[in-house]
Amino acid sequence: MSNFSVGFRANGAVQVLALQGELDAHTASELEAAIQKCKDDHHFQIVINGEHLQYISSAGLGVFMAYIEEVREEGGDIKIAALQPKVFNVFDLLGFPMLFDIVDTEDEAVALFKNGSS
Amino acid sequence: MPNGLLSRLPKQGRLLGPGTRIKRAALFIFFVVFYTLGAAYHLLLWNIGQPTAFLTFIYHGVILAGYGTLWLLLSSQFDRVRATPAKAFWHTLVLGILLIGLSFVTLNIPGAFNDAGEPLTLTTIVKMNTLSLLEATFFFILLLRFRDLVLFKRTRSSQRNWYLMLAFMLFAVFAAFFNLPGGPGGNDAWRDYLLALAIIPAVTFMVINSFRISWIVHLTFREKMAIIGLSTLLLGLFTLIGVSLQTGDAFDNLMPGVSLYLNNYSYPLSMFMMLAGTFGFLYCITALLSLMFHLPTTSDFQRRADEMAVMHSLTDLVNQVFDPEKLVSTITASPVEAGSADAAWLAIADLETGSLRPRVIATHNIAPALVAEMVDTEAFYEEVLHTKEPVLLEQAHADHRIAAHSGNGLSSLLVIPLSARNETLGALFVTRNVAHGFEKDDVEAISIFAAQAALALDNARLFEEQIEKERLSRELAIAKEVQHKLLPQHLPMLDGLTLAATSVSAQEVGGDYYDFVQLDEHRLAFIVGDVSGKGTSAAFYMAEMQGVFQSVTHIAPDPCDFLTHANRALCNSLEKNVFISVVYGVLDLQEEVLLMARAGHCPAATINLHGESRYVRSQGLGLGLDRGSLFRKTLDVERIPLQPGDVFVLYTDGLVESRNPQGEEYGYDRLLEALRAHRHEDAPDLHASLMADLDRFLGGLRQYDDDLTLVVLKWHGLPLSPAAAATDNTREIYPARAVSLE
Repeated sequence: MSNFSVGFRANGAVQVLALQGELDAHTASELEAAIQKCKDDHHFQIVINGEHLQYISSAGLGVFMAYIEEVREEGGDIKIAALQPKVFNVFDLLGFPMLFDIVDTEDEAVALFKNGSS
Repeated sequence: MPNGLLSRLPKQGRLLGPGTRIKRAALFIFFVVFYTLGAAYHLLLWNIGQPTAFLTFIYHGVILAGYGTLWLLLSSQFDRVRATPAKAFWHTLVLGILLIGLSFVTLNIPGAFNDAGEPLTLTTIVKMNTLSLLEATFFFILLLRFRDLVLFKRTRSSQRNWYLMLAFMLFAVFAAFFNLPGGPGGNDAWRDYLLALAIIPAVTFMVINSFRISWIVHLTFREKMAIIGLSTLLLGLFTLIGVSLQTGDAFDNLMPGVSLYLNNYSYPLSMFMMLAGTFGFLYCITALLSLMFHLPTTSDFQRRADEMAVMHSLTDLVNQVFDPEKLVSTITASPVEAGSADAAWLAIADLETGSLRPRVIATHNIAPALVAEMVDTEAFYEEVLHTKEPVLLEQAHADHRIAAHSGNGLSSLLVIPLSARNETLGALFVTRNVAHGFEKDDVEAISIFAAQAALALDNARLFEEQIEKERLSRELAIAKEVQHKLLPQHLPMLDGLTLAATSVSAQEVGGDYYDFVQLDEHRLAFIVGDVSGKGTSAAFYMAEMQGVFQSVTHIAPDPCDFLTHANRALCNSLEKNVFISVVYGVLDLQEEVLLMARAGHCPAATINLHGESRYVRSQGLGLGLDRGSLFRKTLDVERIPLQPGDVFVLYTDGLVESRNPQGEEYGYDRLLEALRAHRHEDAPDLHASLMADLDRFLGGLRQYDDDLTLVVLKWHGLPLSPAAAATDNTREIYPARAVSLE
């Protein structure tokens, strides 16, 4: 069983979800629940911090795709920051950088929100 | 024993073995002999006069032995069939009447004794022998019939008491032996003591045995009345016989002077008969009194017995029924049909909706709407779930969970949890129209039934699950076959090109895909794809991808066109969180060029003759990620000129992400290394070598937890002369073999 956890943090007005461990089909539901909670709390500006994210599978990627439309409709966004190289490669192969803002640090992502680019 | 003699014996019934027949025949013979000897003795006396003490002694011994064999004979006859209580009384009564009748007739034949007890006429002797035989037979049969009643419920102690009674009766017989007129002389007192010593215990045991009347409870009201009548008559009979035996005088009663005859024949025997008669009398009294006292409770016992019988037979039915619907209706109907309740309903935890809220799934004798209105089923369910014990409301309308008045027919309520394998499956509700309608017995009986019902429900559920499981695994096996057929069954053969391809799915069905379409003589379209996820849903999308590829590539072979069409087609059916990554390419072997595009997939590896290798990582979004124009805008197509010796390797992430026992991934670098090492081999060998390298890396542990696909394309080039190209013979140097490896 893979171990995975989502940490909640606030960075200004932005909700930060710090991912830790392996995100695959078994653990994807946890990330789903976390994003759903953000939605329920009306936090539509979300930054995913992948500093401690070791692995992601297609199921994990699917979670982003499942929620992004709704979040953007509410005027918010999901931005991704601090991915490890191997994990970033998985996002990159699929072309995620063309769909999401993927940056090197959490602060950069937060700054992007402040600048009004959702 | 000669056959002739056997055949003359009365037929005792077909079920007898030869051993029993022989035994009976022997007993009969012995009896006849003894009886005749006894009669002979009297004749002898008649002629000779005073007998010797010794002869008398022998005589009595013979008589006792003779009647002993008669007892054994009758006993073995009555052992075969146990009498019902009614039969026992009836037979005894009939025999008794017969006895009295025959005795009356016999006694009225003239004959008498003198004072010394010696017969005066020949007819007296005949009368004596006949009477004794008749009386003895009657009393023996009486004892045997009543034995069946006493031992109706056989236990060690009841049997022991019966045999002790008989033993003491026999003891009395032998004591009487010493009390014979003209018998062994001596002091009288000890004889009386001896007799008392025998009779008192015998009578004690008679009294004890008289209380063995357990056959009474099982009788219906009618049967009890009938036996009351019979036993009253029998009591009358015994009184008559008893009185006759007591008085020694020939006064004007039914059997004048019968005791004289009996005593003169054999005093010990008549002692036995008297004791037997006493027992019969005592037993009839206790039976009569008990029957009368049991009459009022007959209907209750009957009802209880009926309920038990119905519950039992329904319990069997409950276990046989595997149809869940029929089962639950049987469960609710049973208590009502058995008479234990007036209405019933069953609530089951609603496992379908995932919640544990109870749902009333069947009712009997009460409408579901009424149940919903009057009873808070959920509250009761909670309670029994918690306590795991039945809940009994003797005055239901007093409880706040019942919204009924005492007129509504819901006065008593019993709720029983149905548990199997430590899990509460549901609860059975039964009601009665009156308050305090459920006694302790009812609660127990219904609880036992509920336990059976729970087991049956559990069985039915398990059975259903098992059937479903088998059906699913059959379905999956079919799906695996179907999917297998969707992959290319044969690899295309084009001059100058060798191909090899395999795809292994992690589960029965998978999301990986590869396919080829030969567009014309020298053009081949190929695709390798990976649906996000695994299992059945991925397999469905894979099938759709195959359909799109097979049809659209003919119409729009250009990679950008094809992929844009594919993206649009798939976006309609893919779920939000599903996407497909593909690499698509078209080889033009005449122009010697490859047009290839990568839509989110692992980049194709390529190497040339000289060992220069790279990954073709062109830009492109995965299919299904964008429904708009972004896909086409961001898709790049690479135009790669072909050189002889060029190898293209397409694969899915299952290859590069395979981990060895140490947790290391195979990775992109190792793939290129292996490719470099084997680039001179043609496609099939190269493919095998790459797989072997992977296996080596994995340490022989070929255990895939992701789908794995590997396609190898190698361009060998064609000889330049057109003439040579036209014939097959010159194609030796670079043989174009296409072998499909699965």
